[in-house]
Amino acid sequence: MSKIDINILLGGPQGGGIDTSSTMVSRAFAYAGYPVLSTREYHSNIKGRHSYMHLRVKEVKPRSLKYPVDVLTALDPDTVFEHLINVGKGTRVIYDSSFEGSELDRSRMIMRDTVRRIRETLQKESLPENVKGMITLMERRGATSIAIPFSEIILDAVPEGPATRYFNTFGAAITLAILGVDLKYTEEAIKAAFSTKKHVIEPNLKVASAAYEYCESKKLRVTNLPRNGEPPKLMLTGNDAAAIGKVMGGLRFQSYYPITPASDESTVLEEHDSLHLLENEKNTLEKEGVTVIQTEDEIAAIAMASGASLTGAVTSTATSGPGFALMAEAISFAGMVEIPVVITLYQRGGPSTGLPTRNQQADLLFALNTGHGEFPRVVISSGDVEDCIYDSIRAINYAQRYQVPVIHLIDKYLANTVEVLNEIDTKRVKIVKPLISEEGGIIKRYTTDTNNGISPIGYFGKNIFWMTGDEHDELGHVTEDSVMREKQMEKRMRKEETIEAEIPVRDRVELFGDENAPVTIVTWGSQKGVVLDVIDDLREEGISAKMLFLKMFEPFPVEFVYTALKKSKTVIAVESNMVSQAAMVIEQRTSFKIENNILKYNGRHITEEELLDAVKKILSGAEKKVVLRNGA
Amino acid sequence: MVHKFTTDLTVDWCPGCGNFGILRALTMALSELKFDPEQVALVSGIGCSGKTPHYVNVAGMHTLHGRGIPFAAGIKLANPALNVIVTGGDGDLLGIGAGHFVGEGRRNSGLTILVFDNQVYGLTKGQSSPTMPMGMKTKGLFRPNILNRINPVTLALSSGYTFVARGFSFDTVQLKEIIKKGILHEGSAVIDILQPCPTYNNINTMEVYRKSVYKLEDDPSWDPVVNPGNEDELSAKFEKAYVRALEFGERIPTGIFFENRTMPGLPRRISEYVSGYMENPPATQVVSLDDGTTVVDPVETFRDKKIY
Repeated sequence: MSKIDINILLGGPQGGGIDTSSTMVSRAFAYAGYPVLSTREYHSNIKGRHSYMHLRVKEVKPRSLKYPVDVLTALDPDTVFEHLINVGKGTRVIYDSSFEGSELDRSRMIMRDTVRRIRETLQKESLPENVKGMITLMERRGATSIAIPFSEIILDAVPEGPATRYFNTFGAAITLAILGVDLKYTEEAIKAAFSTKKHVIEPNLKVASAAYEYCESKKLRVTNLPRNGEPPKLMLTGNDAAAIGKVMGGLRFQSYYPITPASDESTVLEEHDSLHLLENEKNTLEKEGVTVIQTEDEIAAIAMASGASLTGAVTSTATSGPGFALMAEAISFAGMVEIPVVITLYQRGGPSTGLPTRNQQADLLFALNTGHGEFPRVVISSGDVEDCIYDSIRAINYAQRYQVPVIHLIDKYLANTVEVLNEIDTKRVKIVKPLISEEGGIIKRYTTDTNNGISPIGYFGKNIFWMTGDEHDELGHVTEDSVMREKQMEKRMRKEETIEAEIPVRDRVELFGDENAPVTIVTWGSQKGVVLDVIDDLREEGISAKMLFLKMFEPFPVEFVYTALKKSKTVIAVESNMVSQAAMVIEQRTSFKIENNILKYNGRHITEEELLDAVKKILSGAEKKVVLRNGA
Repeated sequence: MVHKFTTDLTVDWCPGCGNFGILRALTMALSELKFDPEQVALVSGIGCSGKTPHYVNVAGMHTLHGRGIPFAAGIKLANPALNVIVTGGDGDLLGIGAGHFVGEGRRNSGLTILVFDNQVYGLTKGQSSPTMPMGMKTKGLFRPNILNRINPVTLALSSGYTFVARGFSFDTVQLKEIIKKGILHEGSAVIDILQPCPTYNNINTMEVYRKSVYKLEDDPSWDPVVNPGNEDELSAKFEKAYVRALEFGERIPTGIFFENRTMPGLPRRISEYVSGYMENPPATQVVSLDDGTTVVDPVETFRDKKIY
């Protein structure tokens, strides 16, 4: 059991440096030797609307986030108004004392529906519709409020101001001070957060010291956090991890069109386009780099990645639902002409523009069914930041080996989640070399003389062959001959059997926990961590549960899933969507119907306590379906 | 031996189709440039023009409607040593693929884009295409065309293409010369090719075009080229080209409207940032050792993600 379990929420206006605060808090804990897990929630807005970081610190690597938080730090009045549901007994609510008179009416950046709800809550409790009223309500719910004159303290430390410029650093520092993180770690974190803006480090350090002094003088510190061993080595988001995995897997060309929450992966690649190579025995390698191209739309993005792939380069694109929809025709083309290409699909709230900056897992069925006609594909999904690295390598391997489009599902929560890692294992997933035609000149690119459906690939620049989205003969010329049609269809679809036979089950589905546990929680994607935590919680309450974690949806590991579910007394599917899409896939593929569902579709991440409650509700027989509604 | 660049496939365009002239000019251009077939990639979209790659003995890619350009740009940018040519129709490149046509003008990846311009959608039985003038009624239409016309030459100029020309499919000698220059040009070239559709366009026939076309190069003062060092000529020559390109009716100019040699192609612009790009582009990079180990040091490549 982890003795230390700290949950923090720090919020402020978008564009007000919440990202920087987030980095400072995460890094400071990391420097003190603590693994952290954090995520970011934000609006589809550049400046002004409410944004926050939700973070958890434990002695061992946290796998999920949790409410209520221990510390809620508000850099603006909106943060106080928005987060009543995330405070509870013992929560320390830190805010600028000058916010107190701030009226709800003045918080124009809060969504109108949210304002209405907050107003009703305050009215019900006969409280004034201002920050003070909300703080009083939080106190009624067991929170301790800590009003601090932010501006006064900041201007004492940095008289030239303006004070609001330093709110984010002050907020981070006071939070860390109250939690007993040694100032030296906070200072290091500030230096890291401003490593590209060195001239602002000095005033920010002064602000941090002032926050610590204030904390001591007012005796606000609640604990003294001991150092927890060596700091972890790396701090990565899901976007970072996917980018890292891709270049490890051989990616050298990525084309993309900007879209949240996918484009960070491409910009991270662009930022690191000069690759640092490992020492090797031969040391014969020339300089290497990744070419990242921003295109005119997502159709061009997938088309360019597909075209580049024909030259022998390892290529991919990254997008989200709306962009993926535009790629549908080209994915069918890639299936038809057997192009190795990876599409990393970052799911966000749909349908349509939906909740563009919020979490959702509603594109699974779309990924499985995108593209007209019948063609083989691989669809995989990642569960945590570390998985994103190795799954990205696997995605490339599958594309190269089977000459198919590979769709790699990641969700928004995972894309924006920060995890710490101690190492990246360069040997864990070996890179698969494609079956390359040894001939030069004209080749039968689509030879049907193949048992496993894989025809040796040729490359533009080395070979001559043709490719067409029309049905084609072995050279790649258009044919409407009925017999050649059958041969080519059968050759392509034979690859499905090959994939099924070659990819080990452990890379497609995983069981965590006691194999014979009567309760099975089925999930996929970013719920991996929270379900693992809930299984531990259940064990403490004497309930034995396991997790069936789905990693590959196409080809689907039918036998394994069916057997595991058949043996369970109670099966519960946990998904961030409304219709339980993975449960639908399971039923379609195995005929096993999952009777219990825990679902969340408000766009916010699933937290430990709400999932535990929901599982217990189902196990008690009270409910068959629970919708999780936590989050602001 | 000079390669012939033709395949043994049956060409199934209609008799009298302007495409034959384009195919002849293209294969002649490739022969005269003495290319190895492996040095060339030919990419098309959908429609009659889309079939062209199958008739040419080079690596050929017959893609999706309107998407020839981005597929081709992917090939070119992954292997800049290749000569990448796009063949597309007016509907393909200027209708469904117009966004890519404009996007490539911003890139100037180094593609040679041949616009098979016959003003109709042939393969779907003669609907009006983006280059058909308003009010024109061809025999495939039930009523005159009520949509306005795109001028491929002015659109190419506005989009930023650094080589913009027009040819006529029945003047294969001139067209071949333009194609050769377009291929050798560093940036992307657009060549609008007037191409009668004998089946569906009974208005702009070979005879009509023959009467109206004239060659820009016949005027000895016509100089569309801007060489490095002469950047000050850019706006005047662009303007001249644009104004001349508006002429389309009784008289139709053919030849090179504009050739800007001062702008580096996208590969050279990429190479300023991506180390080793020209010598070792994405197509030729070694990504793993013999035992399947990655060559990339992930921690050092992403060292800003390190905590210590």
